[in-house]
Amino acid sequence: MQTSILEQDGNMVAILEGRLDAVAAQETEKAMQPLCECEGKDIIIDCTHLEYISSAGLRIFLRILQNAQGKGQQVFIKNINDTVRAVFAMTGFINIFKLI
Amino acid sequence: MGTIITLDAHGEELMEQYRQLLPTLEKLNDEAYNQLKKSLDEQGIYVTAIEHRVKSEKSLAGKLELKGAKYKSIDDITDLVGLRIITFYSDDVDKVAVLAQRLFDIDWKESVDKRKLHELNSFGYNSLHYICRLKTGGPRFELQMRTALQHVWSTIEHDTGYKGDVKIPREYKRQFGRLAGMMELMDEEFSRLRLSITEYRRQTLSLVKSGQLDDVPLSRDSFRNYLETNPFDRLNRRIASVNQAEIYPVSMMSYLRVLEILGMETLGDIQRFIDENSEDAFQLAVAQLAITDIDILASNTALQYLCLVHVLKKGGGRDGLKKLYDTINGESETNTMLADLMYQQAATLPFMHKE
Repeated sequence: MQTSILEQDGNMVAILEGRLDAVAAQETEKAMQPLCECEGKDIIIDCTHLEYISSAGLRIFLRILQNAQGKGQQVFIKNINDTVRAVFAMTGFINIFKLI
Repeated sequence: MGTIITLDAHGEELMEQYRQLLPTLEKLNDEAYNQLKKSLDEQGIYVTAIEHRVKSEKSLAGKLELKGAKYKSIDDITDLVGLRIITFYSDDVDKVAVLAQRLFDIDWKESVDKRKLHELNSFGYNSLHYICRLKTGGPRFELQMRTALQHVWSTIEHDTGYKGDVKIPREYKRQFGRLAGMMELMDEEFSRLRLSITEYRRQTLSLVKSGQLDDVPLSRDSFRNYLETNPFDRLNRRIASVNQAEIYPVSMMSYLRVLEILGMETLGDIQRFIDENSEDAFQLAVAQLAITDIDILASNTALQYLCLVHVLKKGGGRDGLKKLYDTINGESETNTMLADLMYQQAATLPFMHKE
């Protein structure tokens, strides 16, 4: 699992690649920490190359969302594949996030 | 073989007083019971049992043999007539106590709230004992009030602990204490549960009162009030139990539009929508979730599955599901994939094959 963070057009962008499962969760959450620390910027989680997400991954996304909402920031999730979309749908989280 | 009890002269004198008093005690036993029973019925307090008895000659003899010198006359013995009320809930003990205070004269010097006697770090015999007298006078009697769980505990403890032939080791006494602690927690939880159910009924009833549920139009305000009664909790918990999942609270207000599009006009429509679709929604959710290791669900999960089942039962098919997902998630071609996936899963379930 690879996680890169960059600033793009005034937004914080996290690019995820691989399988975000229970094994990768801890390391990924650590890598995504700058998203929780940033102020005044919207957050984009680019999932173009995210193959799979587990409950542990969902919890990371939820923590980022909760933190951002508290500071008036928005969180967008970009380009999720069908497998990830199905997980978001069956857990009821699909309309909690802004999918782009 | 019974034990032979020998009483001294004072004991024999008290026993004679008891025999003379016996008809009065029998009457008192009936009168106190009748007054209590009538009052409990009038107040709508349901109890598991009301026990009442006049102390037997044998039991009194045993007491007099052990501590007869303590009593100057038979009037000093306060449990010749004894009543015991066993309630379902711990807060009913307090209600019964208030009722007893109204019905009888209470001898406060002799009455004991054993529930308050414990040290902070100990548990045990929790019961409320009042020494009472009828308002019309006569001998005193004892009224014990306790919950069913307190009763079970103290009966078993009495049975095993006070036989007196062998000293009970500390570890066993401690085990009784632990069980008493557990019973106390259970009593509290039962009371709390009753309170939650009462609150749920009250909220629903107030909606019903403001018109029947069928007369309450679906609106932002009425839907918000309705959600406060947690109408989807039961199904959510049932679905979550499949994977022992955590339920993550999210707002369900966005579903108002979905429900309106599905043709719901009143809260009554929603109540029927829940009643008619819950079982099938559960089956559909299980079909999806049981094959995954997902252990977190949004609190709108039950509502989402109810909507999906509703659309399918109305013959909406894949297109209906796509439209539903478009409403829930926003219009997108990707919703076709979700609709297909859901339709395939649902096609295997019995509700899709009913005429």
